[in-house]
Amino acid sequence: MRGADKSRASDLRVTTTRGAGGWLERRALAVLGAATAVVLAVVFYYPVLTVFADAVRVGGEWTPEIVREVITDPFYFGVLAPIFGGDFAQVGDVAANTPLGLFGFTAYQAALSTIASVLLGVPGAYVLSRYDFPGRRTIRSLTILPFVLPSIMVAIGFVAFFGSNGPLNDLLALVGLGPVNLLFTLEAIVVAHAFYNAPLVARVTTAAWESVDARMVETARSLGANPWRAFRDVLAPQLLPAILTGALLTFVFTFMSFPIVLALGGFQLATVEVWIYSLVQQLDYAEAATLAVVETVLSLVLTYAYLRYEARQAGANRAANPPARKRLLPDDPTPTAALERAAVGVYALVVAVVFVGPLVSMVAESLTGPQGFTLQYYEFLVERQATGADFQTKPGLAVRNSLLFGAATLLVALPMGVTISVLTTRGGRGSRLADAAAMAPLAVSGVVVGLGMLRGLVFGVEVGDHRVQIAGVTAIVAAHAVAAYPFVVRNVSPLLSGLDRSMVESARALGATRARALLDVELPLVASGVAAGAAFAFAISIGEFDSTVILATGSSSYTMPVAVERYIGNRTLGPATAMGTVLLGVTSLSFVVIDRLGGRWEA
Amino acid sequence: MGGVTDLHLSGVSKSFGDVAALRDVSLEVADGEFFTLVGPSGCGKTTTLRAIAGFETLDAGDVRFGDREMSGVAPEDRDVGVVFQNYALFPHMTVTENVGYGLRFRETPGGQSREERVGDLLELVDLAGFGERDPDELSGGQRQRVALARALAPGPDVLLLDEPMSALDARLRQSLRTQVKRIQSDLGITTVYVTHDQEEALAVSDRVAVMNDGRVEQVGTPEDVYRSPETRFVAEFLGDNNVFEGEVRDGDVVVAGTAFRVEGADASAGSPAGDPALAPDVSEGSVAFCVRPEHLELGPGSNSFEATVEAVEFLGESFRVHLDWDGREVVLRESERPTTDRVRVGFDPEDAHVIAGGRAGKAVEPSR
Repeated sequence: MRGADKSRASDLRVTTTRGAGGWLERRALAVLGAATAVVLAVVFYYPVLTVFADAVRVGGEWTPEIVREVITDPFYFGVLAPIFGGDFAQVGDVAANTPLGLFGFTAYQAALSTIASVLLGVPGAYVLSRYDFPGRRTIRSLTILPFVLPSIMVAIGFVAFFGSNGPLNDLLALVGLGPVNLLFTLEAIVVAHAFYNAPLVARVTTAAWESVDARMVETARSLGANPWRAFRDVLAPQLLPAILTGALLTFVFTFMSFPIVLALGGFQLATVEVWIYSLVQQLDYAEAATLAVVETVLSLVLTYAYLRYEARQAGANRAANPPARKRLLPDDPTPTAALERAAVGVYALVVAVVFVGPLVSMVAESLTGPQGFTLQYYEFLVERQATGADFQTKPGLAVRNSLLFGAATLLVALPMGVTISVLTTRGGRGSRLADAAAMAPLAVSGVVVGLGMLRGLVFGVEVGDHRVQIAGVTAIVAAHAVAAYPFVVRNVSPLLSGLDRSMVESARALGATRARALLDVELPLVASGVAAGAAFAFAISIGEFDSTVILATGSSSYTMPVAVERYIGNRTLGPATAMGTVLLGVTSLSFVVIDRLGGRWEA
Repeated sequence: MGGVTDLHLSGVSKSFGDVAALRDVSLEVADGEFFTLVGPSGCGKTTTLRAIAGFETLDAGDVRFGDREMSGVAPEDRDVGVVFQNYALFPHMTVTENVGYGLRFRETPGGQSREERVGDLLELVDLAGFGERDPDELSGGQRQRVALARALAPGPDVLLLDEPMSALDARLRQSLRTQVKRIQSDLGITTVYVTHDQEEALAVSDRVAVMNDGRVEQVGTPEDVYRSPETRFVAEFLGDNNVFEGEVRDGDVVVAGTAFRVEGADASAGSPAGDPALAPDVSEGSVAFCVRPEHLELGPGSNSFEATVEAVEFLGESFRVHLDWDGREVVLRESERPTTDRVRVGFDPEDAHVIAGGRAGKAVEPSR
């Protein structure tokens, strides 16, 4: 061996005492995991179980009586109620009067909304994935907007849009139709739900369409299939799972939809969720809890079905070699091509009316008084802030609360979401269980979580001799965090599981503890996902309405969406739309942040 | 630390679900040895390496570094350097930051500054001046050397290399494996190298363990395992080989009616490996022996049989001739292309190696 080399080389080998991390650092992940589990247990599982207990306990006694009353009440279950009750003679009577019941109606409007969303969303996926045109990418990224737009704001936009003096009737009058009154009709609810969920369907389907392998279609064509057969036999089977995924999610969302139905349907067209809210307002907690339990069981089953289906589809094909996109305006179109372009044009018009209409109407309404353009509603907001009584809703306070809660939500939801992502991407049976337990909040409505917190922690819990009680503000932040962290997980997990595990293993072999490897290697590499998750979490908090409206009842911890709802009661839509416009401004800002950071939401 | 490190695995078993990845694996690696685990994909070689690094929890058995028992010791506390197949360079760090990463957790030796240490290592792998590059600005071979420098920087006791060459083209592999071997022997660091490439294994290793189906089939020097395979699997996995099965009769081995003189097939000849305990029992009944293609010769002779030429491949320095001998596939190497379809093939009794008793086509159980 080379002498000089050898001696220098041996120098290189000499080592060292170690300076590895301390006790806490070595167990950081376990500690974070335990903390996350505790937070989830306290702010989600405990409140939801409180609601469940309310449904089966009367005066400290366990009883199935309330549940039995609810499921045999035709008002709730329509023709199913006498069947559940074993009273078959009643079926005919009930079928004539209330065939659907509250739950039936809820499912019915969800089904209609799902169909509308698919009809409106799938052509969008076709245009986005098969055509090339300026702004395509922007429009594609705009499809995440529904997740960021506060639902009460969308609702108020539709109220302004559908109103008898609203732009829709102005448009119809232009072509000699109308007027129609869509307010407080099922159609209005369905269209508003489509506004929310069609982009979701479009987004999921576009992703599937873009990952289709063009060579498969070419193979089918070379084997003798005409374009239509090739589409039906090769392409459609690959798109269908995505469309179904979107449809299932839409059904779950619209089944539990609250603010849209509340604002556009009122109590005349109440769904389960709205009815629970009205029972809570009447302080009828036991019946509200029972309805919540039945609703939660149903939505959990639906969500479980969705997750099972999604898991079966996951990783099915990743060979992205999509066919080339068509130009929107070809130089010399064939008649078929021209016809197709015309159809795209009509579709674009419908999209513009449905999606742009409500938001523009809201802003326009906030600037329009009886005598035309006015700033009086914004002046009203400013004046209310300056001189309003304590019991009145002050816009400034709402903005301040929203931003504060948003920031606090971020501080809780971000570490929780990242911890769950790390623990669940390790694979194995245990991680799948953790995944399901951690994702359950997606399937439980905000109204139920809010109700549970109100009944449990906010009213107070006896622990030993002490009465444990948390403030409404804390409860609101906790509820927001529960609603927000799944979005962090959904943004971080795919990136994290895409990382090569040898990356972390290399860091650990080099002396880094597991937590250190997370900080030094994994988090920097998934930074875009963490940032997008943070922006989502913030936006979710800003827009959250369902649990906030319950927890903020009679207190000064209301947020912007709650303020919008409280202003609706007035004679004009002015203050509500003005407040909604403020909310739109704040929300747009967080959307811009998401977009800048490359947010991703693919499910 | 930094002293003598020999490595011991005893009775190591590991299953993934229903799949047994390692079945009772025991190995001894001497201090400073270049030890290679070779076998087909799925044989358990990478799992063995991961067990040494501490990335897998074992179902049974234990791993020791010297007299340090390793069960329950986290990877970061084992003082191992690992180079993965895909190098796993941190893409958000420069070459210097990558190589220096392990030094964040350990003091640099000899009062060196971190920068000096990193500089020395980059020089060692011929990458001085590449420190400010990002990993994605490097070629495959350069990345591989950065990964090696990074693994060596903290001065590990054991170097673990998991198929580090398999992503590179053939020419680069040869020059890099020479470099890796030189660095390893200069540092005198105990090294475990995993590869599926038997040629690579034979070329660089002090000793080789041939693995199959979660078990160690044979351990020995490259010459040992190549020349004296103890199991049929080893005989067939390392290079081309012809395995014949027959019956021992009067000191000869009879295959398909033809009697062959085979050294060691005679019971009185003793063990081919020299260790009587390992000697296959060939005094009676069935026996298998192998003859390398380069040891089969065309032309008449006593120890021979007649076969049909099926195909001839030109390999440059020689021809590989595929023969059919009454339904048996036989391969031989010749410097000239055979001129007739029927050929006579023979071998020297000394070039035949007895594997073990049994006619089963499956690998014979290792004798330990």
